[in-house]
Amino acid sequence: MKRLVLISFLLACVTSAFATGFVALDRKSARTLTDGSTHTAPTIVALWSTDCPYCKKNLGVFTDMVKADASLQLITVAVEPLSAEVATSLDRIRVPGVRYVYGTDAPEAIAYALDPKWRGELPRTLFFDGRGNRVMISGAVDVATTRKSLGLPVQ
Amino acid sequence: MKHLRTLGALVATTIVLSSLPEPAFAADPKDKGTMAGMAKKVRVELASSAAFNKNGQLLAVAKQGDHLLLYRSSDQGSNWSPPVIINARPEAISGDGENRPKITFAQDGGVLVSWTKPLSKPNTGEVRLARSDDDGISFGAPITVHRDRQEITHRFETMIVGGDGRVYVAWIDKRDLESAKAAKHPYRGAAIYATVSDDGGRSFKPETKVADHSCECCRIAAAVDTDGAPLILWRHVFEPNERDHALAKLNLDGTPANVERATFDRWKVDGCPHHGPALAVAPDGTRHAVWFNVKDGAGRVFYGRLKSGGIDGQRLIGGEQAARADIAIANQRMAIIWKEFDGEQTLLHAEISEDGGASFKRLALGAASGASDHPRAIAHGKELFAYWRTELEGMRVFRLP
Repeated sequence: MKRLVLISFLLACVTSAFATGFVALDRKSARTLTDGSTHTAPTIVALWSTDCPYCKKNLGVFTDMVKADASLQLITVAVEPLSAEVATSLDRIRVPGVRYVYGTDAPEAIAYALDPKWRGELPRTLFFDGRGNRVMISGAVDVATTRKSLGLPVQ
Repeated sequence: MKHLRTLGALVATTIVLSSLPEPAFAADPKDKGTMAGMAKKVRVELASSAAFNKNGQLLAVAKQGDHLLLYRSSDQGSNWSPPVIINARPEAISGDGENRPKITFAQDGGVLVSWTKPLSKPNTGEVRLARSDDDGISFGAPITVHRDRQEITHRFETMIVGGDGRVYVAWIDKRDLESAKAAKHPYRGAAIYATVSDDGGRSFKPETKVADHSCECCRIAAAVDTDGAPLILWRHVFEPNERDHALAKLNLDGTPANVERATFDRWKVDGCPHHGPALAVAPDGTRHAVWFNVKDGAGRVFYGRLKSGGIDGQRLIGGEQAARADIAIANQRMAIIWKEFDGEQTLLHAEISEDGGASFKRLALGAASGASDHPRAIAHGKELFAYWRTELEGMRVFRLP
């Protein structure tokens, strides 16, 4: 019973935070986030920044896809500290999903933990097919590339 | 129990927007008793530049909030003076590695500091410049160097003093992109604009366009050619979306004498590399450059000697994580420095060449376990230095043997 109460409390905290806020990423949580075994559904992890116009294009594509298909998951990672502009950029086009920002850990350590092959170019997107496979793509992508990268049939 | 631990970890790392703690960055340890040092839990913004004055003092410029600060060292970086505030009136200042404040000296000894002032709309800015007539003890009010005052991108400036003392400032400018958007015409990337001062940075002529279709957010490199004219090197968007580099030599009025493709790696991406190049000219006129590109599927740092239509001696610098390379030449010696994350910490490396880039010896300079700025290679007389500002150690200077 004690355990149940604790779980409920923790769940409430997490849900509340996720509904209104951002999660600060460090190297450990970045490693967990991009571990293919943690994603059991097709999941898009979109790395973006406020000064990257192509990122906003990608976020628009992903937002539309996720809103049209509830089986897809979207997780965004702003590769910069939290600012009003980060929140506004996501809110403006109502980007769903868990929102991460860089925390106070060394940015290079977080980046390496997210994707050792990633060299800072943006947008960078990690596509998980939910069966343990992962595809990483730099640059703007369209719906067909996204579906293919998620292991879904291209419509 | 596993789920409990996972939930606990999630809660521990979850931060609600309204309750973000003060960033826990330490103030610069060398700032004891100074404005920056007294500020509690203020995040030290690491982007910084440094240059030696004619007396051999090293002057470093860095931002803290809405102020730019000038630090001075008379012992090659072992000790730093309390800072001088450059802009008396606070204003927004860009301060990331690709868009850092810069410092150089006018021919008459005036200290020149340039920076980008972000405006209210995202990705907009003005290029600002402040001058000191008393070797950095005080600064005049900053000026905006361009006439165009639209709230658009004028950012990522570079500043260089030509052989005849003219001061050149070049930057990334989106006025042509904005015009094309309004007319519903396609336009690749942004543009490079430049302006010239013939009074030591006190005033600037109307700006001129150097080239259409630059990349949008990579630093611009500059060096003085052997005839004293400025050379600028930037990441360009060649058709259809190849993000290689272009080189321009500027005339006395800031217009381009010529613009040519400088690198040929053919990185095709609709994205923002966030990696600008670096350039140095040897006494024999050879143009030595370092740059980042994705080639054959891997993002790597390259060195090469730029020549019309090609590159001599292109080769990789460092390992798979090498990044943020810079280059400087002092007399016949050349230094390439870069940083490289090893999975735990960031290492600073150098390669020194005494034979014009035919061969290099490698040096390990230092490490940083926290965040770090891009390292800067600095030439001073016959000597070469690496300047590196790191979160935990402060402003560090390495003399390169």
